[in-house]
Amino acid sequence: MIGIETNRASSRVLLWITLAVVLVIYGFPFIYLLLTSFKTPLDAIAVPPSVLPSQWTLENYVTALTKDGVAPALINSVVTAVLSTVFSLVLAVPAAYAITRYRTPSGRVFVLAALVTRMVPTIAVGAPLVETMRTLGLSDTSLGLAIAHTTISLPLSIWLMSSFFESVPDELEEAAKVDGASRLGALWRVVLPVVSGGLAVTAIFAFLASWNEFLFSLLLTSVRAQTTPIVIANFQTQFGLDWGGMTALAAVYSIPVILLTLALQRHIVAGLTLGAVKG
Amino acid sequence: MKLRKTRGTRAALLGTAVLSVTALALTGCGAGGGTADATTDELTVLVEGGGLAELQPIADLYKEQTGTTVKLVELPYDGLYDRIQTELGSGSVSFDIAALDAIWLSAFADGVQPLDDLFTDDVKSDLFPGLVSEAQVGGKYVGMPIFTNSEILYYRTDLFNDEKNKADFEAEFGYPLAPPTTWEQYTDVAKFFTRDTDGDGQVDLYGTDVKGAVETEWLATVSQAGEKQMVLDPASGEVTIDDADHLKALDFYTSLLPYAPAGAAQLDWAGSQNLFYQGKLAMMRFWGHAYTQTPDDAVVKGNIGAAPMIAGPGGIAGVPGAWYLSVPTATTKSDAAKAFIAFAYEHNDLSIDTSLGLVSRISAFESQADVAGHENYPAILETLNSPATYARPATPKWQEIVNTVLTPMLQKAVEPGADNAALLKDAKAQIEAIIK
Repeated sequence: MIGIETNRASSRVLLWITLAVVLVIYGFPFIYLLLTSFKTPLDAIAVPPSVLPSQWTLENYVTALTKDGVAPALINSVVTAVLSTVFSLVLAVPAAYAITRYRTPSGRVFVLAALVTRMVPTIAVGAPLVETMRTLGLSDTSLGLAIAHTTISLPLSIWLMSSFFESVPDELEEAAKVDGASRLGALWRVVLPVVSGGLAVTAIFAFLASWNEFLFSLLLTSVRAQTTPIVIANFQTQFGLDWGGMTALAAVYSIPVILLTLALQRHIVAGLTLGAVKG
Repeated sequence: MKLRKTRGTRAALLGTAVLSVTALALTGCGAGGGTADATTDELTVLVEGGGLAELQPIADLYKEQTGTTVKLVELPYDGLYDRIQTELGSGSVSFDIAALDAIWLSAFADGVQPLDDLFTDDVKSDLFPGLVSEAQVGGKYVGMPIFTNSEILYYRTDLFNDEKNKADFEAEFGYPLAPPTTWEQYTDVAKFFTRDTDGDGQVDLYGTDVKGAVETEWLATVSQAGEKQMVLDPASGEVTIDDADHLKALDFYTSLLPYAPAGAAQLDWAGSQNLFYQGKLAMMRFWGHAYTQTPDDAVVKGNIGAAPMIAGPGGIAGVPGAWYLSVPTATTKSDAAKAFIAFAYEHNDLSIDTSLGLVSRISAFESQADVAGHENYPAILETLNSPATYARPATPKWQEIVNTVLTPMLQKAVEPGADNAALLKDAKAQIEAIIK
């Protein structure tokens, strides 16, 4: 009995050690970024590099946050990501619902076609998108950029929502209809609440796709709608790279998504396991 | 429970709706940012970070004097190239002027307007010869240089002014210690300063660095060797990289390895700069703008001298690192764009007091000859004015040649036992395959 307990304790310790190692490996780039943001300019480019700052400083944060265009870019990033997330959900939910509930061959083709768009290199659609946005008068606007970002997140959103809708038994919806609900009413009152975790997961993915997107932001914005990834990259010029300023702004920019992920953690876990109990 | 969940979902949806309406309001839906719709009292200029700092005072003065707003759109270095390429390719542009790196001129020459009218004799005589030739692609001037850089020689004045060092050097080499001007002197000084300063048996001060991860310094050495056509002749398609001058340059470049820190293959600009600032190098060849940007926490702060690049058999030589203003063919504001470029040239000296502090006109460099804090200017001036200084070849394939041939070749050359002649021969074959 004592032997079994000892084995269990050993296994648990081993598990925790493994988890800690994996976590450190996985989180090291971000931890290094965070530590670099507190280094002096010389320390930041030390050869060989050091993990810990030899002298801690907040100078990089002052530099980064007082740089022209940073505050508007942060607002633009939030506005664009929120809009893109809303567009993705508004379009993906009915599309995924129709595909899973009607189960037509054309629906399956549609899902595959949506996925194929993810296989086209983003740069390939850059020029036509620039031209389209200019024609629509949406160049250098958050609205135009959000629409462009939606083209990236929508296929994945449809796929995700489809798998979540698949996990909801038809009987649940049928029961709602017996109680007098219309199809839309059943979707709104019964199905969506059941897949709320899935909605959260999809929203997170759509938000992150827009939040971190670089190429479309580079091509479609100039001043008014420029987002933070472009401003972060601007710390690199031909003749030098301000590692401190770049890492400080990158650290600041990471905070909202980390908080968002923590806030929705329960939903994300629920959402990710939703499809697993299907069938 | 289910009821609470439904309420929660509704609240979430409502919150999202409110957020999205707010977001829509914030987007300023009546936008339409393209310059095609903008009024003629605004010009849009695409620049990278360095160019933004350089052009801002000029743009401010232009606004003050003409009422025209010059909107400087800052983009990252690599992103700027992608943006210009995409817009020129689409045939519709959001900008009226673009700041182009010298090595991009030939790639974008077909999409920009000739600026021949701006290149009067007076203008040409006040620009470095290398820039005047570099600005021409296919017989037309495609860009006006707005600022230029060049590598110069940085050295530690505390070491060079030390009396013991002076005496020891003269005793060993037979001539006074001074910032080197030739390959031979550079080697002597590098050898002299490579030493163990704290007596722990390990070398902790090196005479110089050798950069393997960037190609420009070796290209300057090629010009110093006397080569008039570095790497290739774009007009004839002849690849010259395996000739005697290139080999001479590579042999000299790698001959400095015993006096440089280990890890040359991975050493780039930032790494080199850091070694110098940490006090581990007695000398460094580096871009001229850095003279005014020494970090406060650098060990060598206040003890840095600047001199022209060293001379090989061909003379003093560097590689011009210029940026040009060009006008896209597709803009509807050609005249206004050219007027601003002429104004920028006229007020080139306004860039002197910017963070980069670089200019393009010879007269602007000369104006700072005796100004304290601008000791790098005479060094840049002499390097760029040297007849041996040549621009990089004007080929749209240049960046590809650098990335896939020159840098890997250098990284192999700085490894022990490298066969330089064989490496250059291989490089020639690779370049021929790229440009054929």
